[in-house]
Amino acid sequence: MSGFEKEREAGKGIRALLKRPYSVRKAVGAAVMVLALQLLIAAVMGYSVRGTESVTADLKELRSAAVVHVASEGLVDMMVREAQAARRKDLRDNGYEGRKFREMGSNEVDAIIAEAGDEARGKAVILYGSPNVPAEARPALDAAIQELETRLAAYGELRSAERKTFSGLYVSLVDSVPSWSELTAAAGEDDEALFAALCKVEPGLAKAENAQFRGGFLTLARDMAQKEADRRESEMKTQLLAEIDGAISEWAELQEETDDGLWEILCREIPELADNDRYRADAIARVRSNIETVLAGKEVAVADSSATEGNTPVSETQADYRYFTASDELKRLEKEKDDAHSALWDRLTDIVPSLKEIKSKDRDGIMENVDKVLYPGDLSFTSRYQSYTADVGEQDIGTLTWFAGGAENILLLGLALLLLGAMLFWWDTLTPRFGVPRIIIMLFFLYLILAAQFFNISIPLMMGNVLERMVMYGILALAMMPGIQCGIGLNMGMTIGCIAGLLGVVLSLQFDMTGAGGLFFAVMSGVLIAVPLGWAYSILLNRMKGNEMTISTYVGFSFVSLMCIGWMLLPFTNPKIIWLLSGQGLRVTHSLLGSYGHLLDKMLSFEIFGMKIPTGGLLFMGLCCLLMWLFSRTRVGIAMTAAGSNPRFAEASGINVNRMRSLGTILSTVFAAVGIVIYSQSFGYAQLYTAPRQLGFIAASAILIGGASVRKARVGHVLLGVFLFEGVLVFGQQIANSAVAGGGLSEVMRIMISNGIILYALTQTGGGRHE
Amino acid sequence: MSSEFILEMEHITKMYGPNPVLKDVSLRIRPGEIHALLGENGAGKSTLMNVLFGMPVIHSTGGFEGSVSLNGVPVAIQSPMDAMAKGIGMVHQEFMLIPGFSITDNIKLNREITTSWWLSRLLRRAGRDLEFLDRESMAEDARQALDAVGIGIDEYALVAGLPVGHMQFIEIAREIDKTGMKLLVFDEPTAVLTESEAAQLLKVMREIAAKGIAIIFITHRLDEVMAAADSITILRDGQLVKTLATADTDINELAGLMIGRGDESVIQVERRREPVQGGTAMSIRNLWVDMPGENDKGITIDVREGEILGIGGLAGQGKIGIPNGIMGLYDAAGEVTLFGEPLKLNDAKGALQRGLAFVSEDRRGVGLLLDESIADNIAFSAMQAHGQFMKGPLKDSGGIRRYAQEMIRELDIRCTSPAQPVGTLSGGNQQKVCVARALALNPKFLFIAEPTRGIDIGAKQLVLETLVRLNREQGMTIVMVSSELQELRSICDRIAIVAEGKVADILSPEDSDTAFGLAMSGYSGQGGEAQ
Repeated sequence: MSGFEKEREAGKGIRALLKRPYSVRKAVGAAVMVLALQLLIAAVMGYSVRGTESVTADLKELRSAAVVHVASEGLVDMMVREAQAARRKDLRDNGYEGRKFREMGSNEVDAIIAEAGDEARGKAVILYGSPNVPAEARPALDAAIQELETRLAAYGELRSAERKTFSGLYVSLVDSVPSWSELTAAAGEDDEALFAALCKVEPGLAKAENAQFRGGFLTLARDMAQKEADRRESEMKTQLLAEIDGAISEWAELQEETDDGLWEILCREIPELADNDRYRADAIARVRSNIETVLAGKEVAVADSSATEGNTPVSETQADYRYFTASDELKRLEKEKDDAHSALWDRLTDIVPSLKEIKSKDRDGIMENVDKVLYPGDLSFTSRYQSYTADVGEQDIGTLTWFAGGAENILLLGLALLLLGAMLFWWDTLTPRFGVPRIIIMLFFLYLILAAQFFNISIPLMMGNVLERMVMYGILALAMMPGIQCGIGLNMGMTIGCIAGLLGVVLSLQFDMTGAGGLFFAVMSGVLIAVPLGWAYSILLNRMKGNEMTISTYVGFSFVSLMCIGWMLLPFTNPKIIWLLSGQGLRVTHSLLGSYGHLLDKMLSFEIFGMKIPTGGLLFMGLCCLLMWLFSRTRVGIAMTAAGSNPRFAEASGINVNRMRSLGTILSTVFAAVGIVIYSQSFGYAQLYTAPRQLGFIAASAILIGGASVRKARVGHVLLGVFLFEGVLVFGQQIANSAVAGGGLSEVMRIMISNGIILYALTQTGGGRHE
Repeated sequence: MSSEFILEMEHITKMYGPNPVLKDVSLRIRPGEIHALLGENGAGKSTLMNVLFGMPVIHSTGGFEGSVSLNGVPVAIQSPMDAMAKGIGMVHQEFMLIPGFSITDNIKLNREITTSWWLSRLLRRAGRDLEFLDRESMAEDARQALDAVGIGIDEYALVAGLPVGHMQFIEIAREIDKTGMKLLVFDEPTAVLTESEAAQLLKVMREIAAKGIAIIFITHRLDEVMAAADSITILRDGQLVKTLATADTDINELAGLMIGRGDESVIQVERRREPVQGGTAMSIRNLWVDMPGENDKGITIDVREGEILGIGGLAGQGKIGIPNGIMGLYDAAGEVTLFGEPLKLNDAKGALQRGLAFVSEDRRGVGLLLDESIADNIAFSAMQAHGQFMKGPLKDSGGIRRYAQEMIRELDIRCTSPAQPVGTLSGGNQQKVCVARALALNPKFLFIAEPTRGIDIGAKQLVLETLVRLNREQGMTIVMVSSELQELRSICDRIAIVAEGKVADILSPEDSDTAFGLAMSGYSGQGGEAQ
């Protein structure tokens, strides 16, 4: 839109406002926009004065004030702690020992101690709270602070770079090693051989610049192997001991046996036990306790040996920095930083002599806080300003500096208000085009992005996450589309397809297939299983016309439950996927990291503006969407859509409506099967049992957010919907976690958004029937 | 106090918006008289009865002008309850019975005979709600009422599963059981009855009338009117045509009065000089169609090649069922041959592929995909039936758009672009889209049902002119089903009138109103020259 047109649009808006002075919405919208514009001007002003002399001077002053304040704050804390310790000792000495002390109740005691602390704080603040910096001490203090700031920056950057390298190596190594014990066993005690083996798994280790990590990773490998061995050992012991309970039926008859006799019987009943005589004592103790239980007239509960958890995957964990080794350069910088610390400390003790009496432990604490003030991670104007003012408060700051410091916040607030105002102002134009919920979600998404900025959350990183999750959920949401088009509405029974896909995944694991071949096999076998299941399901739906939503939700849930039995009984044999101990039944979670986890996401993946693009995954999703789009333009696809949106119309044109509905249902099921395989490879794990139960709801709300209704859906709805839904979730989760301590809020938000949207869509259709 | 007439409705005028549906209609009924109310569909019979019963639809649309008096006393009837309290009852065309209740319970519903007990006496405020039913007295009353209508059915039987004839009598029994009943309205009571049941019903009506209860008898069966009614009021287009005594008239006069020649035709079409003499395009033999409300029971007719055949008749008589049955939309049986070849019934796709096309009477339900664009709607059937408008396996959007634009120009469809969803068009333009969709099939034979229902006069003319043009220029054989006799008479070569699921008569547009009126009432064979 050209500038002229924009002006004309705005003119139109104002004219409309003049024509309808009663329109409160327009008036409020305009007012909010005017306010927003003022804020934007203020923000621009704030940006422009940054770096001017007066603001720089202000900032410098704030910095030294903050450092002195943090130091004296440490002093105050110390005095408070001392006063509290003295009061506690006092209480003890004066007969509050023992019972009396306990009778008072810990709350009461805490209150007394806290009171003492408050009293001490009052006094200490008067003494040390706001020390004056003598004018002659200023230059030296500023120089020391400047020195420390530089050192901190240099040290911090190198350290985070090295830790990043380390964590990358760590995660990739831990993800890719199938068995640590095998790895270390092969190398034996030979460090060289072990390191060579590690380098084979993760070639990055061998690079010269990573030499410092060699020792750390060797220790890591040995520790991991030990852990693995310990876990196997304990699993085996638990199971063998559990088997004893079921092995013998007449406990009472064993009463007279000696230990040796018992051991012999046990070894006969459970041959594996004979090879493990280190469990002898435990086993005999178990038998004795069982005999006692039986003699006491109780039953021996036969433990379900299969109930033990499988090995939990190690990946997606943060790197364990105990194995991190600093490089020589980093060590040197650290030393320089410590020297700068001491220099600053000396300057501080000149200004606040009482700091000399402080213990070295408290001194470290104070300097850590000073570091946080001086090096807040990234060195933008705002973050500096915020870290200074957070401690000093905003006294004695020039107005210009205040605007300069708050420019980002003012800008964000202004933009958010501008959006809100524009939405109110052009409400009547926007709502028919996008619908109210979509506008709200889009605004919410925009606002979350702005808020992310506010919380110092990296937007490109988050966007990368959004893209990754789009790959995860895109095809699942696409699976909703043929269902909606063919007239069965939201196919909550797509979990049937998900289970078919999961069967494909476990089949590929059963045959130890890896790489692209494995993925292809999983997709194809999932599809092959999905077709007959979808067909049978569609027959059910065709007999229940008008109630599809109820039926599909019910079938979706109950099929998951049915398969909970199925997963236990299916004759899979590969020890990597079945319960180790009972020897049958599939485990809950299967790691795909050794086979084809992240295969598509990593394919052709690149980084742009710090945003990781999962190219392969996006391409595959695009391919599926393209296929669906092409299909909906074929004669059959058009017939299917018509059968869904008006069955009688379709019949009048000679279309077999039931066949079209079956076709749509099968397609939906097949896409769900493909979708879950892609979901699993993106996630890195395939989860069985009750895990797929909620997927239908997520897919449904995603496509509905995108603008589909329960009667009409397009590929565009899928893409937009998945993007908005995952975008709101990813940003929302991060922000919720930053804003409110404690997890759970983000999950609550997900449920509220997704279920709210489904509910809204249903109210728009009058109970799923047309007109 | 007492008056010669039990009911006087004077100068009733009722407007729905700007359209008058009743214009200065008066109705007077004496006690103990059977008064027949005659008229075509839409003549204003139902509206007049709605006024009488004070139906909410009347009050919510601005009330009516004129006065209603009972026994000479002007009354304002506020609601159906009010009407019942004043002694006016109605026997409905659709049965208002609860299937799971016994006959007694249905007859005495909301007028139950009850006995009090201690809790109901205690909670007097709850009134009769808590009292027990006195089933024996109720059954006695019901027995009496059932005997009065002359059916010997057990009064304790459940309504569910009874033959429809019995249900009709139970309705009547319920009405005459009400005490103080002065006036009973029978709304097409014989429509669902067999001949012997109908005779029985007329007998019962006369017995009721003999007790002094007046009866308004709404029907279109002229022979029943002649047999049972004392006097007759005829309405047409919301106007009172005539009130006369049965003794002074005959069936032919009634039929003529009921139809009446309209002032002018909808459009002026040059008549063919001589009747169409082409071969038989479609021959229908003994066609049965199971379409709810429009059943056909043995239609036999030949459609000549190159003619416009009209099918008329009253609503619910089965005229709509003919095209729906042949096009495979509803279950049908019988023999249909198209251009000499037998046509397979119950096969919608086959019918389309044989060159038939159908513009449905249910435009929004069957005729259109309301959310889709004009272009997609027009192309849809041709794409599905003949594989047109395809480019390889995908749809040819460009071709569809071009064709749609051509159609929009030709049929003057008022729209912003071919991509506009048809749901946002006006009724007339939607109808044009339906016609365009049928034409895209390039049919040799076109069925079109109720082509002008609910569309404005301009669109009406355009649609009818289009039909004539297609017929004259392309020689397309057209069968047009319509409730509007005027429009059938203005463009059709022959008009078949369907009554009670059968072809009552085949008439020429020039035939007299009497002939049409009689045919619609089910008299066959009056105007033989058009056959």
